[in-house]
Amino acid sequence: MTDPMNKIPPFDGFGLGLRRTHYDDFLNNDVPVDFVEIISENYMIEGGRQMRILEEVRAKHPVIIHGVSMSIGSAGGLDQDYLAKLKQLEQRIDPLWVSDHLCWTRTSAHNSHDLLPLPLTQEALGVVCDNIDNAQDALGRPMLFENPSSYLTFPEDELTEWEFLTEMTRRTGCYLLLDVNNIYVSSRNHGFSADDYLGGLPLDRVRQIHLAGHDPATAERSLIIDTHDREVCDEVWALYVKALAMLPSPVATMIERDDKIPPLLELLKELDRARGLASATREQVSA
Amino acid sequence: MTHSPLAQRQTAFMDQVLDEAAALPDGWGENHADGIKVYRGNYRSALMDALASTFERTAKYVGGGPFARVAAHHAITQPPSSWTIDDAGAGFDQSCAHVFGENPEVAELAWLEWAMLGLATAPDTASLDGAGFTAATAAFGDDDWSQLRLVFQPRAASRVIGNDLTAIWNALGSDAAEWPNFALQEEAGCLVWREGERPTFIMVSAEEARTFAQMQDGTSYGDACVTLAGDGADEAAINDAAMRAGAMLGRWLNEGLIAALH
Repeated sequence: MTDPMNKIPPFDGFGLGLRRTHYDDFLNNDVPVDFVEIISENYMIEGGRQMRILEEVRAKHPVIIHGVSMSIGSAGGLDQDYLAKLKQLEQRIDPLWVSDHLCWTRTSAHNSHDLLPLPLTQEALGVVCDNIDNAQDALGRPMLFENPSSYLTFPEDELTEWEFLTEMTRRTGCYLLLDVNNIYVSSRNHGFSADDYLGGLPLDRVRQIHLAGHDPATAERSLIIDTHDREVCDEVWALYVKALAMLPSPVATMIERDDKIPPLLELLKELDRARGLASATREQVSA
Repeated sequence: MTHSPLAQRQTAFMDQVLDEAAALPDGWGENHADGIKVYRGNYRSALMDALASTFERTAKYVGGGPFARVAAHHAITQPPSSWTIDDAGAGFDQSCAHVFGENPEVAELAWLEWAMLGLATAPDTASLDGAGFTAATAAFGDDDWSQLRLVFQPRAASRVIGNDLTAIWNALGSDAAEWPNFALQEEAGCLVWREGERPTFIMVSAEEARTFAQMQDGTSYGDACVTLAGDGADEAAINDAAMRAGAMLGRWLNEGLIAALH
């Protein structure tokens, strides 16, 4: 377990993911964001243009390192080469924090490069906590873990996802990255209440919120799919407001877009909507 | 090897994702089948997108349908195992050689794109320029020249080729809809490296590509000259080989391929 003195203070801000199509915007303009988030694996490299651009952006903005390949739920443990490269990036960039997902992506033989679901069992909880301890020790700092979208549950499940996350944070001292869209997607796919989910989490451990768009269910497909390829929908905005009202301290909010990426101005407008909602919610709560 | 219930579940789940024909585990129903379908789709599209992005010119050259075919072959024969999806392209030139056996230029083009991707993220290294080389070798005697070894730019690559990669590359950057025959009359070589932040390549002789590869593996300048001269070479052949090796060395220096002397 990470040293409890090693805490991540709340960060109140609004940011975007740094994507290649927006490199010039970030290099040549004063983009009105409080932070940028990068996909760790894209920058766990040794040099070249991409790294130079990241360092230039880092000189202007705080950076969050967000990974998709740590595979914190792998029964076989963590990839030490991966951890070493992540540590190098962390030392090079000095991020606000480092995050990944509650999921697994690989076995000893293969990597799916997709966020695969974990059985919510005591055994999996033990594996995840051991792996988080390993990762946090290697990085020398606590991490954030994000609740995933999922498309199936396992017959052997023993816990709800929020119970799993609660116990995970208690045992390891890690923090939470609350993906509001993922809560919405999974609640619809598996028929649980998003309110129960939010109400069951240790909200004092949340340091960041992700907002994104999804592909709704169709006549042919009952599952909602987390796609990050469109605007945040009204239902997810409403859940965002609900979450903000419940959180005990300010958090960083980010709009995620990974496919069909629009011009930066469009994303900044969406981010302004988050700013406005956060401001209004704060006023309402304090009134 | 771990055989815990979680490990078994993950191995079985991965099999489901990788293999459409895999039977569902006992106790799984229609909902699970629907879910697995989504994970399979995510896996395939991530892999296909990564390959299409890495091998953009190869995809353009062969066309969408054939590229999807070779990508599917590659995914089945060499499913990704690395933490970075960029590594999914490793060995793709071999997959191209297998699928497009009648068109060896496809594998050569894929090899070139793969080499350029690797160079794009290689460590930033200063090149040794002519003045630096002259200073470093100013006091060299015959033995020093013979023992000279070169440290090349990280991930610089070479290959003997049978097709005009420069012409293919330029054609793919144009609006041409049909391609001529790019086969060379005799084999040539290709050197790939990075100019500043930009990966680049030139075509050279096959002999130069082989010599580059040998010296990259640690062969000394003297031994490279001996190889160039061939078995039983007379003095004239040895002098000619030394001239050719000197020309190669000069080119590598001018192009910035050499990082240091060893």
